[in-house]
Amino acid sequence: MVTDAGIAVSAVYGPTDVDYERDLGDPGAFPYTRGRRAPRPDGTTAGWIQRELSGEGSPARSNRQFHALLAHGAHGVDVIGDTPSMAALDPDHPMCTPAVGTGGVSLCRKQDFVELFDGIPLERITASHSLPAAFALAGQYVAARAVGLDPAVLRGSAIQSPMYCEDCSYATFMPFPLRMRLALDSIAFSTREMPRFHAYLEDTYFISDGGLDVVEEMALGFVQIREITRRLIERGLDVDAFAPRIAILVNCRMDLFEEVAKVRATRRLFARMMRDEFGALDDRSLATNVAVHTSGLTLTAAQPINNVVRGAVQAMAMAMAGVQGLEISTFDEAFRTPSHAAHVVAMRTQQVIAEETGVGRVADPLGGSWYVESLTDELERRIDAEVRRIEAVGEIGELVEDGFFRDLFLKGMDRHAQRVQSGEQRIVGVNRHCVEADEDTLLRDVAEERFEPDLDHVERIRRWRTERDGGVVAAALAGAREAAADPAADLMRPIVAALDAECSIGEIAGALRAGYGLPSDPFAA
Amino acid sequence: MSGRGRIVVGTLGLDQHEVGAMAVAHLLMRHGFEIVYLGRFNTPAKLAAVARDEDADVVGVSVHSWELAAYAGELVELCHAAGAAVAIGGSVLTESDERTLAQRGVDATFGPYAAERDIVARMDDLVARARACAFGDRGAAPDGALAGRVVAVTGAARGLGAAYVEHLLDAGAAVVANDLDPFEAAGAVEVVPGDVADPATAEAIVSTALARFGRLDAIVANAGLLRSGPLVRISPADFDLVQAVHVRGAFLLLQAAAQHWRREAKAGRPAAGAAVLTTSAAGLYGFLGEAAYSAAKAAVAALTLVAAEELARYDVTVNAIAPVARTRLTEWMDDAPGLAPEHVAPAVAWLVGDAARHVTGRVFEVGAGRVALTGGWHPVAEATGPADGATLERLVAEAPPPRPIKRATNGSDTKEETHVQPV
Repeated sequence: MVTDAGIAVSAVYGPTDVDYERDLGDPGAFPYTRGRRAPRPDGTTAGWIQRELSGEGSPARSNRQFHALLAHGAHGVDVIGDTPSMAALDPDHPMCTPAVGTGGVSLCRKQDFVELFDGIPLERITASHSLPAAFALAGQYVAARAVGLDPAVLRGSAIQSPMYCEDCSYATFMPFPLRMRLALDSIAFSTREMPRFHAYLEDTYFISDGGLDVVEEMALGFVQIREITRRLIERGLDVDAFAPRIAILVNCRMDLFEEVAKVRATRRLFARMMRDEFGALDDRSLATNVAVHTSGLTLTAAQPINNVVRGAVQAMAMAMAGVQGLEISTFDEAFRTPSHAAHVVAMRTQQVIAEETGVGRVADPLGGSWYVESLTDELERRIDAEVRRIEAVGEIGELVEDGFFRDLFLKGMDRHAQRVQSGEQRIVGVNRHCVEADEDTLLRDVAEERFEPDLDHVERIRRWRTERDGGVVAAALAGAREAAADPAADLMRPIVAALDAECSIGEIAGALRAGYGLPSDPFAA
Repeated sequence: MSGRGRIVVGTLGLDQHEVGAMAVAHLLMRHGFEIVYLGRFNTPAKLAAVARDEDADVVGVSVHSWELAAYAGELVELCHAAGAAVAIGGSVLTESDERTLAQRGVDATFGPYAAERDIVARMDDLVARARACAFGDRGAAPDGALAGRVVAVTGAARGLGAAYVEHLLDAGAAVVANDLDPFEAAGAVEVVPGDVADPATAEAIVSTALARFGRLDAIVANAGLLRSGPLVRISPADFDLVQAVHVRGAFLLLQAAAQHWRREAKAGRPAAGAAVLTTSAAGLYGFLGEAAYSAAKAAVAALTLVAAEELARYDVTVNAIAPVARTRLTEWMDDAPGLAPEHVAPAVAWLVGDAARHVTGRVFEVGAGRVALTGGWHPVAEATGPADGATLERLVAEAPPPRPIKRATNGSDTKEETHVQPV
């Protein structure tokens, strides 16, 4: 018998030698295996931030979605852009129009960010961004200032993935050196201007959801964390200035105990790495914030109602693992970004777990389970070994550009597909307990519902473009292009200035590409 | 063509699921197919052009988001014209999507749980059919002479412009079609509405060609309008309008395209650009009652000659045609079959194609069953000495009499509000 990651398991586990102080520690104490925080003085635990991925159509429509989710009890928002926004292209680009707003919110200018967050209490809740990070941070920053909010109070996170984004569905057609500069500059900018914001969210969810196992998922996450940390320190930043603002967004699939052990092993590895290799001294640099997005890969197009159960099991596992934030991939995940019905079911699932099961009464309730502790140790060992193996292969930038990581993603996807095809990976409704298509009707209509691209928003952007001061726009874009062409220049200042000058994100991204001698438009390459 | 089959694999449009495309490529390679891998950010025109260049049997597209349906018809049309089948697969496809794609001519679709053996069997079938030319002729068919080329046409909503667009599409080109107001167009066409006298329109036409189709090979400056009337009655505003649309409009588009081609040439990628401007017998010989229009069209003819000379260094040809056709603005003409706009279109298609790379600075009259190559102004009598009355008088006496100026219309004052090209 083996776990999803291929770890051999016995049917029964018994006591093992555990060095409690060295390997576990109390919740809130080094090495943070049992949790980032100690219970509160009144004996309660902090629980987790309940939120759901959202965004569809125009910023105004997405803003209504946010308000609806908050009214249903969400503690924060997580914004996902539509495919043009994710590629840093504008909605009126001729290859983008059919995709505007269909898979997330359309965001390309300062006003869009202002409308997106209209009436959202950003000083009280967190705003997570599943968007190109430098633009998300700049957009949030200028939008806050536009409504008179001090950016220093903003909380939330932005996904940084300069090493993997091009291979994992977040491609922006930018070369690796430019992607890395944007990551480092935006983290430094945020550390300075938005000190409560997690400007570096390491998102292992999307690098793993193609089919990598938990060891590969976390090893790749750590390789990127280490590379970015090294480069920030090389720039002269104190590790304790930015490490407290690193958070990790993990995936959670169906192998429940392995997933819990993964989170515990990750906290321990992070703490040891930051203290022993990077010399962090601040406790907040060692105790990393782990959030989770439950797995879309495990959700099926067949019998979509079963996905509600999968989401609940995964969310339960993560509640027991003591994560700081939780999002459930909704039952319609196989087809679309969440519908209203799916949002409500996901929020209610989190609320049932939080308020009815009592799972959050105790920190690290699975701590001390012989099986879970054994798995935690084994995963820590395997993840650490995989990190060392990868780092021994070559210089990280060269590995990125040579397709080393792309090959790992490809093999992971191929392996997963073959395991499903062969039945080795059992999936109810796919290779077990299947039903005929005409019987597979529960929630299917809701899951497959789609909506048209928001062409009104495209027209709005077209009109806006003609109303701008062309000279001001051109000067701001020239500033961005010149900064990109100068390897020593900071990129965030010109990006923020360009958004303030009414440049669009597509134009700014185009100027950055041009600064690197590339066509400003990926389709003109 | 060789082996079990040659497959072009990539994603389409903004679809980012490249790892999916790579996984499919590996799957097919395991089974002995030959893969031409294209990655992301592909347009239908690019996928089809590569299929043609690589003599591929099938174009396989991996999808992760469903907006590809917007491009499916165009992809099928272009790939079939290149002789290749189209297969689309991805976990996001529902049974309803698969039906929709089949209706748009997609030859095979693979949903979330497609079995490997079924994928391979379907690909074998598509390869066999492609090699039997079931989707289109794989040779260099004349109809595909412009395959992979991108042509911008102004004044494209109706009349000559619409006929050009239809002919260019049939020849395998993709088209950026402009007219004053938005209009519907089918196939590999992107519409860019706007006034040709506005520099922003010319820029939008060029940038749209690059963004939508990845390249710009040719422009056809066809937009025009008519303000007829005797010289003594035509208003300065009408005169300016006619010059703006015909002369400034042609100049702006030619300049915007030339600037792009110059950049390409300087970057070591000479584009083999072609420009076709539109003049008229009115501009070459003059028409009674069309002073403003004749002046404008004469200017376009002169623009053609200068531009051809200046742009030759960037491997760009510039020619003009003076079409003769019955359009909405020339309803006074006979409704003879030879006067249909469709008879002018082959000349335009030839001038923007590979076969005419050696032709530049030329002005052709085309239509009414006749084609003529015209010549520009040249001396018909010469003298040395003082430019006095006696000399001029002698030259007038020596030269053949000037060609009589014809009346173009039925004599009524025309006040047209359209950008359709009159003749």
